[in-house]
Amino acid sequence: MLAAVIGLVLAGALAILLLQPAPYLVNMVGQLAAFAILAVSLDLVWGYLGILSLGHGLFFAIGGYVCAMHLLSHAYAVTGVAPDLMQFMGWKTLPIYWSGLASAPYALVVALVLSAAIAFLFGYASFRSRVNGVYFSIISQALVYVAMLLMFRNDTGLGGNNGMTGFPLLFGYPIGAPGMVTGLAVATLLALALILVVTRALVVGRIGRRMLACRDDEARLRTLGYSTTRLKLWIWCLSATIAAIAGILYVPQVGIINPRVLSPDLSIEIAVWVAIGGMGRLGGAVIGAVAVNALKFWLSAAMPEVWPFILSGLVLVVVLGLPNGLLDLAALRLKPTWLRRGGRLG
Amino acid sequence: MVESLKSWLCGAILLVAGLMQPAFGASPSFERAGFAVGLCGDGAAQSRVLDALIRSSGEVTAEDLAFAGILLGGLLERRLVCLGDTAVLLEKAGAPDGREVVSGGVRSTNGGRSPVLGLRQRGLVETALGISALIAGETVELRRKGLAAVERRMAGVPDAVLVRAQDNESDAGLKTAIGVAAQGAALSSPDPARRLAAIRAVAEALSGAAFSRLSALKSDPAYRADPAFRAALEAAIAKVERAVWIGNGLALLYNGLSFASILFMAAAGLAIIFGLMGVINLAQGEFIMVGAYAAYAVQEAFRRFAPGFLDLYLLAAIPVAFFAAAMVGIVIEALILRHLYRRPLMSLLATWAVSLFLINFVRVVFGSQNLQFAMPSYVSGGVPLYADFIVTWNRLFAIAFAAITLVLTLLILKRSPLGLDIRAVTQNRDMAACLGIRTRRVDRLAFGFGSGLAGLAGVALCPIYSVNPGMGATFIVDSFMVVVLGGVGTVIGTLVAALGIGGANVLIEPFYGAVAAKVIVLVGIILFLQRRPEGLFAVRRRR
Repeated sequence: MLAAVIGLVLAGALAILLLQPAPYLVNMVGQLAAFAILAVSLDLVWGYLGILSLGHGLFFAIGGYVCAMHLLSHAYAVTGVAPDLMQFMGWKTLPIYWSGLASAPYALVVALVLSAAIAFLFGYASFRSRVNGVYFSIISQALVYVAMLLMFRNDTGLGGNNGMTGFPLLFGYPIGAPGMVTGLAVATLLALALILVVTRALVVGRIGRRMLACRDDEARLRTLGYSTTRLKLWIWCLSATIAAIAGILYVPQVGIINPRVLSPDLSIEIAVWVAIGGMGRLGGAVIGAVAVNALKFWLSAAMPEVWPFILSGLVLVVVLGLPNGLLDLAALRLKPTWLRRGGRLG
Repeated sequence: MVESLKSWLCGAILLVAGLMQPAFGASPSFERAGFAVGLCGDGAAQSRVLDALIRSSGEVTAEDLAFAGILLGGLLERRLVCLGDTAVLLEKAGAPDGREVVSGGVRSTNGGRSPVLGLRQRGLVETALGISALIAGETVELRRKGLAAVERRMAGVPDAVLVRAQDNESDAGLKTAIGVAAQGAALSSPDPARRLAAIRAVAEALSGAAFSRLSALKSDPAYRADPAFRAALEAAIAKVERAVWIGNGLALLYNGLSFASILFMAAAGLAIIFGLMGVINLAQGEFIMVGAYAAYAVQEAFRRFAPGFLDLYLLAAIPVAFFAAAMVGIVIEALILRHLYRRPLMSLLATWAVSLFLINFVRVVFGSQNLQFAMPSYVSGGVPLYADFIVTWNRLFAIAFAAITLVLTLLILKRSPLGLDIRAVTQNRDMAACLGIRTRRVDRLAFGFGSGLAGLAGVALCPIYSVNPGMGATFIVDSFMVVVLGGVGTVIGTLVAALGIGGANVLIEPFYGAVAAKVIVLVGIILFLQRRPEGLFAVRRRR
């Protein structure tokens, strides 16, 4: 099934290159692919490790914010036109923590290292003291909530309420050009395919078996002599890094980043995509993210009042009736054992 | 020697001048016809009569002041028309005839003109009008407005005016306000002894307003020149500052306590449910909202059917809100959560979907604006206790409410058969089931009880916070943190954690801001969990 999904993703990239559809359509496909990467990152920790993060929007936002900073300082370095943000903050020059971000490789490293570092700190503190299950979920939600409050402040220096927008250039070329839109979408699709291949290699290997064991009975795995803390920590940091990649690819395509990506609701929605698509299956995460977001793009434009009702109904139907999400509909009833047995606190 | 002689001489001259002053004003210099003619004259003439009126306004009779006020009001509205030796006041600007100001006879305005005011004269007119309203105004409201006008132009107002107004005032609140204004005037009086007395008098007030008033005097030239003044001022500032600091501290603690009370009510239900079933209810914030909207519905019912008893609606809303939220909770438990006890992470998503549904449902039915509550007398206003610390009834209502809820919750959990069942199932579900406890029924009742507690929080907060469909989000993250910190399934742990988090929030806020307060609290909780992952008061149980 995963092979089919990867095939579809690659076929999509090829189709975009060959058929040259309308730019808005290409852009939408690119955004959906970015969301799919985000969903895969959450599925990796939730579906395979049993850790439900309700704060994955944080890592997505880190990638997005660093990318936005890169785009602004890059454009500033190339054109010499001061971005609106500097005017808004009353800066003469960009502050010290922006230095070097005009260079794309450095910005990429910063985004990945920063998200991994924050994930490490938070994960280390949580896993070490064996905070797990629902506890971990609500603490991660508080984390993203606090981050949202922090970014809403103007004196944080990252655009505050308005966030950052108005990116003119990417790698020196105008960002709105059709070729650039196509390039971004194709790059995102390729990144998605690559990430799927890599994570699949991870989950079918020895580490993947350990992850499943940890999900199903962490205490037993620990008793057998494995360090579950270290295992969880590595996968958690990897997942955060993948989420940051999704953010990096997302921002140039929508052209804006603001603190609303940090709202706890968005982070829960990521989990909803995974649950609807089918957790514990990498392909399911992709299907869920694409299906829900395509529906959202369509409905929140066509009937914005109805969309929340449909979303909540969809979640309830999936949660109550389809434990493996849409994959159940495909009659693939491969119910993982832990869903039948289950522990009290997950 | 020469210096002291000089100062003695100066003092004597001042003293004589002071004694003579009443003699100048002993014959009330106000004469109605002359005043009207003066107003009709050029700028100098206007200034002269206005100055004279203001200077003598401590002695002029109230009737004359009222007369002057009517005239000046007419002047500002261009209803005063001058006719050579007399003036006519019109009913409304532009009317063909009006009443002569002194005699009251009707006269045509033919050939007359309305005098124009210069900028300086306008200031004098406003001062005089303020004085007239303050002393001769017929209602408290008019006199209060007069006081406000006088306070704006304090420099040009003789002290006698305020003394007289304070003596004559019948309204207690306004009398105090006039006293404060008089003190302010005395603070800038040229007489050093009076200033010192005024500083001491102002320092008696122990309020933030007094503090800023005294601090402003530090830039006064006398602060550098006169050591006595300086010492008195600094002593007074120190005294007021300390009192204000204590008062603000008390107010902070009080606000923290009321915030903690609401957090406690929201989180107690969460903690009981979590302890019992391992389910965190992401819709708990929406149960708070259901409670608040139930209170609103009760208010509307009172308004329609028993408007005479509207004040009582908040009390009547207590059981209604409890049962409304409890019923919603029980329905959700029966329809949804019952199937998810073995999948707690999925129950997070399910309750989130419920909260999304409830928010949007209420938004469609009631609209997304803030609800308007009529505040009964027992939750509006407050009692000033010390310095700026006011015990406001609405917050006291929330605190008392939470205290009663705490006692009742403890009683139900520790003394009632349901509580016994809840504790048994919390500690060991399988064993409880073996002993014949219908654990599913206990789950449902406990879920209803926990939801009902959130509904109560909704009633308690509607006099303090705004009520709208999205209100639940304000409290929900904080109440989750209360559960995490307090430990699952313990009411006392919830109480201590709510007090801690509520207190920490309001204590950090004034120094570093609301956001930093949240950051610090979150980091503190994560660090705390390093030592005690089960929370403050963990219930011992088998898993």
